Amino acid sequence: MIELFEVTKRFANETAVDGISLRVETGELCALVGTSGCGKSTTLRMINRLIEHTAGEIHLDGHPVRTFNEQELRRRIGYAIQSTGLFPHWSVARNIGLVPRLLKWPKARVAERVEELMDLLGLPMAQFADKYPHQLSGGQAQRVGVARALAADPDILLMDEPFGALDPITRETLQVELRALQARLHKTIVFVTHDMDEALLLADRLVVMRAGRIIQQGTPLELLRSPVDDFVASMLGGENRGLKEAALTPVSERMLPLSPRLISRSRVGRDATLHQALAVMFREHADRLTVVDDDEMPVGELSLRRLVGAGREE
Amino acid sequence: MRGWKRGVMIAVMREWRAPLVWGGLLIAFCLAMGELEPFYRLIEPDSRRVIYDRADFLTLLWRHLTVVGIASFFAIMIGVTAAVLVTRPAGRDFLPLVAQLASMGQTFPPVAVLALAVPVLGFGGVPIVVALLLYGLLPIVRNTLAGLEGIDASVLESARGMGMGRMQILAQVELPLAFPVILAGIRTSVTVNIATAALGATVGASNLGDPIISGIVNANTAYVVQGALLIGLLALTVDSLFARLQP
Repeated sequence: MIELFEVTKRFANETAVDGISLRVETGELCALVGTSGCGKSTTLRMINRLIEHTAGEIHLDGHPVRTFNEQELRRRIGYAIQSTGLFPHWSVARNIGLVPRLLKWPKARVAERVEELMDLLGLPMAQFADKYPHQLSGGQAQRVGVARALAADPDILLMDEPFGALDPITRETLQVELRALQARLHKTIVFVTHDMDEALLLADRLVVMRAGRIIQQGTPLELLRSPVDDFVASMLGGENRGLKEAALTPVSERMLPLSPRLISRSRVGRDATLHQALAVMFREHADRLTVVDDDEMPVGELSLRRLVGAGREE
Repeated sequence: MRGWKRGVMIAVMREWRAPLVWGGLLIAFCLAMGELEPFYRLIEPDSRRVIYDRADFLTLLWRHLTVVGIASFFAIMIGVTAAVLVTRPAGRDFLPLVAQLASMGQTFPPVAVLALAVPVLGFGGVPIVVALLLYGLLPIVRNTLAGLEGIDASVLESARGMGMGRMQILAQVELPLAFPVILAGIRTSVTVNIATAALGATVGASNLGDPIISGIVNANTAYVVQGALLIGLLALTVDSLFARLQP
């Protein structure tokens, strides 16, 4: 659990972070979103003390970060950044094993852990262990960066726009992988990004920042349904945010039991999102869909009226 | 087994060909300078002696190497240490000063350093070592600074973020990454100093400069050629060794 109490950071002539309070529960992925210069990266870097906060307190599991030795603190916290920061003169395997070696793990255990992580991140050992960072594609290098951050199995992971420099397709792949990874590992993650779609996809808690302050925080759905002001609404995509909400809501939430009188030939999976269901309706000119399970067996139906949430109180 | 060993030998020979060739020529000329007497006779028909014989060439070569070696050792120690210190947060204020001092060391002609150093330090090896050290400092300081400053900031940021200590970052990240640039500076420094060391002969530090100075004093061009030839070959040998080391 990470807690920030009235944390402020002043640089020589400007206040980068202005008295923010935030609580990230254990196992939660918290995305800090905002335009450049809003203080989100500074906030992140104050957690592992790469930047020292000027006022307020930051606690990890109830202990102020200042009570830890700086280096020991950082070895307990995974850290991944946009430009990866991989050591160019070290092989992939050596890069990944960095923190375990700093923690003086026995050699065999380090090797074992490196193999485990490379496996976890889809980097076949035989193919990648001895490569150097300049021989990797952007997506591969970022995977190595994430593997390195996870190496000593930290409870907390700080990620500073880790996918920001990747092409859209690779970015999406890695986002989906991170989500799957998080579902397995349950790390406490603070994730900085300026990409709202990325934040909506990944975050359990979304924190919108502007000019060093938190404007609004909550679950993605809470923010989409009731943004506090125009700034948050426009960050969330303005008029488009209805579609984004649809993209976060599963079909199963709105479907009705199958009615025997009419079975539509257009179908959608139960685990699809309302956004996908809408796309099917649009493409197939249907205002009613049959919802099917994984084995293509009909389990319910979804009308356009239900999809858009009209008449839910009936 | 034999064939395998020969293969390795050939591979080593191929990789180290340049230094081996230049070094071989250097030793050969040192040992067999006398055999070339007819050739030097052509250059200097009127002199009684055409082969420098006041000291054995191998001895002179050894002394030359010692002087350059000692001066370079200290230049590397001082230069790299100074550059590392002024790139630490605590020493940053001194960066311009150190960079400037190193440049001044280079603008100061070694002859002038010798002239100033002899009254204080006396004749012999010490003043030439001092002159070479000062003269050789700049390329080392400049390149070490360039090498350290040239490291990608995100690499250092992530090194800190992973929990490496300052010394760990210096030893495992900064110096290895700056090494090729630092080595290039050392190469320049050492090669230039091999030539400059010949001046030592003027202050009684006997080395490969002896035949040159003696040749100038006695108007014996053959001596000058012998000294220059050996110094040239030595510079080429050392330079090709560095070229081989450069990653």
